[in-house]
Amino acid sequence: MKISGFKYLANQGIENIWKNKMMAFATFCVLLISLLLVGGSALFYFNMNSMILGLGNQNEIAVYLDPATESARVQEIQSELEGLDNVDTVEYISKEEAYNRMQNQIQQGKAIFDYIDSYEFMPDGFKVTVVSNDHIEDTTAQIGGIEEVQSASSSPQVAEFLRELRRVVSLIAIAVIVALSVVSMIMISNTTKASVFARREEIQIMKYVGATNSFIRTPFFVEGMVTGFFAGAGAFFITWAVYRTIFRILMEQGTLMRAFGVGSIIPFDRIQLWVALAYLVVGSLVGALGSVVSTRRHIDV
Amino acid sequence: MVELQNVSVTYSSGVDALNNVSLKINDGDFAFVVGSSGAGKSTMIKLLLKEIDATSGVVTVNGYNLGKLKKRKIPEFRRTLGFVFQDFRLIPSMTVYENIAFVLRVIDAPLKYIRKRVPYVISLVGLHSKTNSYPDELSGGEKQRVAIARALVNDPQLIIADEPTGNIDPELSYEIVELLKGINDQGTTILMVTHEHDLVRHFGGRIINITGGEIVFDEVISGVDEVLPEEELAQAMAEAAADTGNIVLPDQRIITPDGGYPGADRNGGSEQ
Repeated sequence: MKISGFKYLANQGIENIWKNKMMAFATFCVLLISLLLVGGSALFYFNMNSMILGLGNQNEIAVYLDPATESARVQEIQSELEGLDNVDTVEYISKEEAYNRMQNQIQQGKAIFDYIDSYEFMPDGFKVTVVSNDHIEDTTAQIGGIEEVQSASSSPQVAEFLRELRRVVSLIAIAVIVALSVVSMIMISNTTKASVFARREEIQIMKYVGATNSFIRTPFFVEGMVTGFFAGAGAFFITWAVYRTIFRILMEQGTLMRAFGVGSIIPFDRIQLWVALAYLVVGSLVGALGSVVSTRRHIDV
Repeated sequence: MVELQNVSVTYSSGVDALNNVSLKINDGDFAFVVGSSGAGKSTMIKLLLKEIDATSGVVTVNGYNLGKLKKRKIPEFRRTLGFVFQDFRLIPSMTVYENIAFVLRVIDAPLKYIRKRVPYVISLVGLHSKTNSYPDELSGGEKQRVAIARALVNDPQLIIADEPTGNIDPELSYEIVELLKGINDQGTTILMVTHEHDLVRHFGGRIINITGGEIVFDEVISGVDEVLPEEELAQAMAEAAADTGNIVLPDQRIITPDGGYPGADRNGGSEQ
């Protein structure tokens, strides 16, 4: 096909949107709703995931060293801990700080501290947070392997619970997204079929005058792609407005943020490029393919 | 050129639509195909358009053996034909110009050629003033003229016209056939399916009658417009039955004393 031929067909596709504006609008609406349903579910899932990870990040490994460890060695151990793969932050808790914390925590019987004249019996310690809560047990074991470490403990139950929670949430989210995608595809397919059906005679005429399948399909492809692109853009702006509003409300209310950790709810600015790309690409592709596939039934004459 | 050799078509329902039909239409011919509903005319058209395949036999159109024609070659084959349908089949969202130019777009013809050729064929069918009209704005006769222009624009070797006068006023039917005859005079083969026997009688030519899936008549008859030699006319008049007062011509056509054609005979005579 010559470039002028393609230009003609592309123009035909765009003109067809205007000429068949009611059907094009119906396709646009169905695509928009489908994209919002699937996109909204996906964003909800990503946020749930992020919140669970936020909870996981609050899980930490308590590391206590042998009280006899030299302070130079304590610094080396801190560097070693920081060098471990799954370690996110390492907070040093000195003997003195540990002693003070202990004093603060004990409400009754504070008099005991009158008999203790030094905090030297306390061990130096570290509070270690991890990058992935899924591997907290391995990291705990690694830390426990350092000679001067007297004890390294984490809460594997919390890690296990969060892993399970994430697995269940993921499964539910995937099921919902797949179900919504299927429903959306059926809706889109029916709408594009109806749109193509309204023009079946046009397709037959094209076949009778010797048009090739690609000649017939190109305008439908362009038409579907442009409609899908605008539906994607529409879905993005609706998502942008709704997401930001919800985000602002949650920020102001603050409970969720405190419970799951700051940053566990993803700010829209951080994902807007990906959301826009996903909506535009998926919208265009589904619109284009939906139209083209629907022509198949009428093209065989 | 159209050639059917011992062609039979049996539909999946078991109906025998065509039964061992053999037929040859040479380049430059004009042939009417007549027959009642269900006789097999539509099946023959579908065969010639490669919409369906013959159950047995060989169908050759414009040098293409349709039984052996690969699916991807069908567009190429159809570009050697022009079709005119009873229901016009114009694209409603396109103007007269666009409907006709579309055929040339399909074959990727240069824009310059399209701009020259389309107005020319529009003027041939006498619709110059309707170039930018949409099909909805045209009368039945005008729509059929557009359909003929569309069939013609690609300069096809063969035009198949399926009941082209079926949806238009009787007086306009003659104009449409005249138009097709004019195109035929330029060398294009025309195959016109019709059930309007008075049109056939009027124009004469090769008549192929299909009945029950078989060709029962395939002869050339003279048209009523043809000027008969004096002695022949005299002979015909002499042979007229004295009691009816009608004139019976040698080809069995009957002319009443007022110069008309008896309606009762319209479905019978000429192709029998």
